[in-house]
Amino acid sequence: MADGIMTRPDTVGDPQILAERRQAAWDEYRSLPMPTRKSEEWRYTDLAHLDPEAFEHIVDAVVAPEPAATDDLPGAVRDVLAGSDSRGGTMIEIDGGVARLELDSAWVEAGVIFAPIALLAEQRPELLERFLFSSDVAPMERKLWALHVAALSGGYVLYVPENTHIDDPVHIIRWLSRAGVMVSTHSLIIVERGAQVTVIDEFMSEDLEGEAKSLNGVEVFGGDGALVNYLALQRFGAGVKHFSMQHANTPRDCTLNSFNVSLGADLARCDVTSHLLGPGSDSEMLALWFGGRGQHFDYHTLQHHAAPHARSDLLFKGALTDRADSVFRGLIRVDEGAQLTDAYQTNRNLLLSPDSEATTLPSLEIAADDVKCSHGATVGQVDEHQLFYLTSRGLTRAQAERLLVFGFFGEVLARMPVDSVRERMTDAIERKIGI
Amino acid sequence: MSEFRTVARLEEIPDNGLHPVELDGVSIVLASSEGEVLALRDQCSHEEFPLSDGELVNGQVECILHGARFDLRTGAAKALPAVRPVKTYECRVVDGEIQVRL
Amino acid sequence: MPKNETVDQLGLDEYKYDFRTEDAPVYKAEKGLSEEVVRQISAHKDEPEWMLEFRLRALEIFYSKPMPDWGGDLDTLNLDEIYFYLKPQDQMERSWDDVPENIKETFERLGIPEAERKILAGVGAQFESEMVYHSLKEEWEEQGIIFESIEDGLRKHPEIFREYFATIVPPADNKFAALNSAVWSGGSFVYIPKGVKVDIPLQAYFRVNAEQMGQFERTLIIVEDGAEAQYIEGCTAPVYTTESFHSGVIEIIVKPQARFRYTTIQNWSNNMYNLVTQRSMVHEDASMEWVDGNLGSKLTMKYPSCFLVGDRAHGEILSIAYAGDGQHQDTGGKVVHAAPETTSLIVSKSISKGTGRSSYRGLCKVYEGAVGSKSNVECDALLMNETSRTDTYPYIEIDENQSSIGHEASVSKVGEEQLFYLMSRGMSEEQAMTMIVRGFIEPIAKELPLEYAIELNRLIELEMEGSVG
Repeated sequence: MADGIMTRPDTVGDPQILAERRQAAWDEYRSLPMPTRKSEEWRYTDLAHLDPEAFEHIVDAVVAPEPAATDDLPGAVRDVLAGSDSRGGTMIEIDGGVARLELDSAWVEAGVIFAPIALLAEQRPELLERFLFSSDVAPMERKLWALHVAALSGGYVLYVPENTHIDDPVHIIRWLSRAGVMVSTHSLIIVERGAQVTVIDEFMSEDLEGEAKSLNGVEVFGGDGALVNYLALQRFGAGVKHFSMQHANTPRDCTLNSFNVSLGADLARCDVTSHLLGPGSDSEMLALWFGGRGQHFDYHTLQHHAAPHARSDLLFKGALTDRADSVFRGLIRVDEGAQLTDAYQTNRNLLLSPDSEATTLPSLEIAADDVKCSHGATVGQVDEHQLFYLTSRGLTRAQAERLLVFGFFGEVLARMPVDSVRERMTDAIERKIGI
Repeated sequence: MSEFRTVARLEEIPDNGLHPVELDGVSIVLASSEGEVLALRDQCSHEEFPLSDGELVNGQVECILHGARFDLRTGAAKALPAVRPVKTYECRVVDGEIQVRL
Repeated sequence: MPKNETVDQLGLDEYKYDFRTEDAPVYKAEKGLSEEVVRQISAHKDEPEWMLEFRLRALEIFYSKPMPDWGGDLDTLNLDEIYFYLKPQDQMERSWDDVPENIKETFERLGIPEAERKILAGVGAQFESEMVYHSLKEEWEEQGIIFESIEDGLRKHPEIFREYFATIVPPADNKFAALNSAVWSGGSFVYIPKGVKVDIPLQAYFRVNAEQMGQFERTLIIVEDGAEAQYIEGCTAPVYTTESFHSGVIEIIVKPQARFRYTTIQNWSNNMYNLVTQRSMVHEDASMEWVDGNLGSKLTMKYPSCFLVGDRAHGEILSIAYAGDGQHQDTGGKVVHAAPETTSLIVSKSISKGTGRSSYRGLCKVYEGAVGSKSNVECDALLMNETSRTDTYPYIEIDENQSSIGHEASVSKVGEEQLFYLMSRGMSEEQAMTMIVRGFIEPIAKELPLEYAIELNRLIELEMEGSVG
C-alpha cells in the first residue's frame, strides 16, 4: 500500500469517532490474511487482484463548498437527473466527494437528516456512535470490510425520524471519473419507528481506460414497524471492479427490502445480507443482472433469521451472454428458536451464449423445526419451443430472443417499487441486449 | 504456426521431473521422462491448478491437488476427477536447449 | 403396521446389531498409523512391490493434506487411538462351514447364510480388516463373472486390476481417499463380462467387531459393455464408548450400454466415523444408480458420484439419511456432465430427530460441450424436533448454455393437519408420526430390495418410539 495513504491512515480533518473507527479498521485489515480462492466465500472471485497498493486512494474526499452547477456535471449524470422523480432528496458524489446535496425543505423541517458522514459526526455524534459500521459482518468478509472502512472516501447518512414517511425516493448518484483510483463509499440509513423511505444508490462511470476500484458499504437500520426500500443500481463502465457489502438490520415488524441491478463493471461482487432480528420482520431481496463481454458477477446473500415469525423472500435472476460468468451463493440460516420462519430463495440463470457460465449455490442451514423454507435454482437457455413459436409468428430470432429475455426479467422488474427506475432499467437492459 | 523457441536448458529439468516455463504468457510444464522432454499446458483441466506442482508417476503427470493424471504425449485425462485433456505442445531438444512451439 | 400394534410390541432392541463376539484375531497391528503399519499390512497380503510403493506414497499424501474444514466435526476423531489392521483369520473361506465359529455366529445373527440361501448371486463378508468369506454361484462363475475379495482380485487378475485401480479415486483426491489408499484391506473385486446380465444382486456385508477398530475396504467394480448387475452392501458394528472409524473407497467403471446399481444400507453403530469416497465413471449410453441409505454412524460424510463421460450416459443418486440424537449425516451426491446429452437425477430425503443433524451436500457440474445435458436435483428435509437441524449445500456449476439444470429443496416439519387427521382415524400420535415418516421416504424405500425395505421400516418404527410427548 502506498506510503502516506494506508500505512498511516490520514485522519487529519476526520471527526474523532471516524478517525478511531478508521484506525481500528486499518489495524484489523493489517492483521487479517487476504482470503484466497481456497476459502469457499472467495472461491470464484480472486481477491489477489484487489491489489490496493496499485491504486490511488481517495481518502477524506472533499465536500464541495458550493453545490455543483448542473452544467458542470457529467452528461450521464445530467441525463439521470433529468429522468429522476426523486424530489425527496438528491446527492451527487464524484469520486467519493460530495458535489451536490439537496433535501426538500419540508423534510428538513420534519427532522430528516441527509448529510455527509463527516458532517453528521459533528452534529449528531450519538447516532454515528451507535450505528456506523456496527453491522454483523461475516468473518470472511471482514478483510474487505476493514479495507472499506479504513479507506473510506466519503458517504452519506440518511436519518428519518419516527413516523415520517418520505413519499418520493431519495436518490444518490455516485460517479467515478477516472482510472487508477480506489474509492470507498458508505451509505448509512437509519429509519426510526414507523418511518418509511425509498433510497436509490446509483453507481456510474464511463468506460475507463485502465482500472478503478469501488468499495461500497451499506447499512440500513430500521426501527419497529419501519419500511425501507433500498435500491442499488450498478451501471459502471468497463474497467471498474466493484465490491458492495450491504447489511439490512430488521427489528420487530420492520420491513427492509433490497433491489440490486447489476449491468456494468468488469467485476461486481455483491454481498447482500438481511439480519431478521425481530418477530414479524420481513425482507424482500430482489436482484437482476445482465452480463456481457467478460463480465464477472459474484453475488453472496444471507437471510439470517435470528427471531421467530419473520419472513424473507429472495429472487435473484441473471442472464449472461458473450464470455460473462456469474456466481450466486445464497444462504438461509434459521437459528435455534426462530420458529414459524418463512424463508424462500430462488436463483434463476439464463445462458445466452456458449461461453457464458453460471454457478449457483443456494444453501440452507436450519436449526428450528417449525419453519417453511424452500429454495430453488435453475440454469438454462432460452426455451427453443418458445423461440420457434415466436419466429413462426413473424419475429426474427433476435427479436424473439430479446422478448424472451425480457419475459425472464419481467418477474423481477414487476416488483421494482419505483416506476421511473423500472423504465430506466428496462431501457438500459434493452440497450445492453442489443440483439 | 509459430516457430520453435528456447524455453529452458536441459540441465534445468531434473530427470523424471517437472519444470515450469512461460512462453508468450502461456504457462507450460516441461516433463522429462525416460530421456525425453515433453511439453504440456501447465494447468490441470479439473481446477486449473499448476501441474508443475505435481509429480511424474508411471509416465503420467499427476496434479497434486486432487490426483488427476494426464498422458504426457496426448494430454489425455487418465484419472478422475479430470475428464478433459490438457493441451500439449511440440517440444524438441537442440544442443541442450529445450525448444517449444506454441 | 396394523393400527393396533405399537412400536413396543415389535420387540426391537434399541440397536439390534449391538452384540460382539470374542476378539481372537490372528494378527493385530499396533494402534495408530505409521509407515511400519502400512508395511505390515502390505507384507501380510504378500503384495507386489508396486502396491507397497503406492501405499507409501498415499501415506505421504495423507500426511500432506489438511483435514477438511467443512462438513462434520472431526475434532474428536483421534487416529492415534485406532487399530488400522486386524486380521481375523488366516485365509478366506469359500464354504460357510469352514468359517470360524465366533465369526460365523456373528454373521448368522446378521442373517448372512439365510440371505444366501435365498436368491443372491454371490455373497461376500468382511470381518474387521479382511474378507472372511466369498462365494459366487456356479452359474454366474461359468458366465465369466468375477466376484472376489479385492486381494484375490489383485492376485488373480493383476492386469485388469492395475488398469483400473485408483483411476477413479486417486489417492490425492481427498485426505481420506489417501488414507484408504495407504491402509486398504478387504472389499470386493467385481468384473462383469461383456453382455452378461445378472438380474439378482451380489451382496457384501461389512462387520466391525473390535473396539477402536478402523475398517478400510476398497472395492473395484468393472461392468463391461452391455452388461448389467447390481451390488448391495450392508454395514453394522457393536456400540462402544470409544470411537470407531470406517473409510472405504469404491471405484466403479460402467462401460458403454452397461447398467449398474450400487446400494448401501449403512447402519453403523453411533460411535462410528464413516468417511467414504464412492465414485463411478459412466460411459456412453450407460447408466449408473446409487441408492444410498445412511441410518447409522456418529458422523457420515459421503457423496456418491457419477462422472458422465460418454454421450447419453445417465447417472442417478437416491439418497436417504436419518439423523437421530447426536448423529450427523453429511451426505448427498455429485454428478459431472462431461459429454453431450447426458442426464442425471438426484433425489435426497433426510429426517432429523432429537439433536440429529442432516446435511445435503451436492455438486452438479456441466462442462462446456456437454450440449443438451439435463440434471434435476430434489431435496426434502423433515425435522422432527426443535433441536433438530438440517442444511442444504448444493453446488451448481454450469459451463454449457445448451443444458437445463434445476435444483429444488424444501424443509418442513411433520404437518399438524396430517397428524390430526390420522389421529382422528384412531391412530396414536406415535403411529401417525411413523406413518408420515414412512410416507416421506417411500419414494426411495421402494427402490430397496425387500429385506432392506422391511428393515428400514422397522428402523423407523423403532426410532419413532418415544418421539412423541
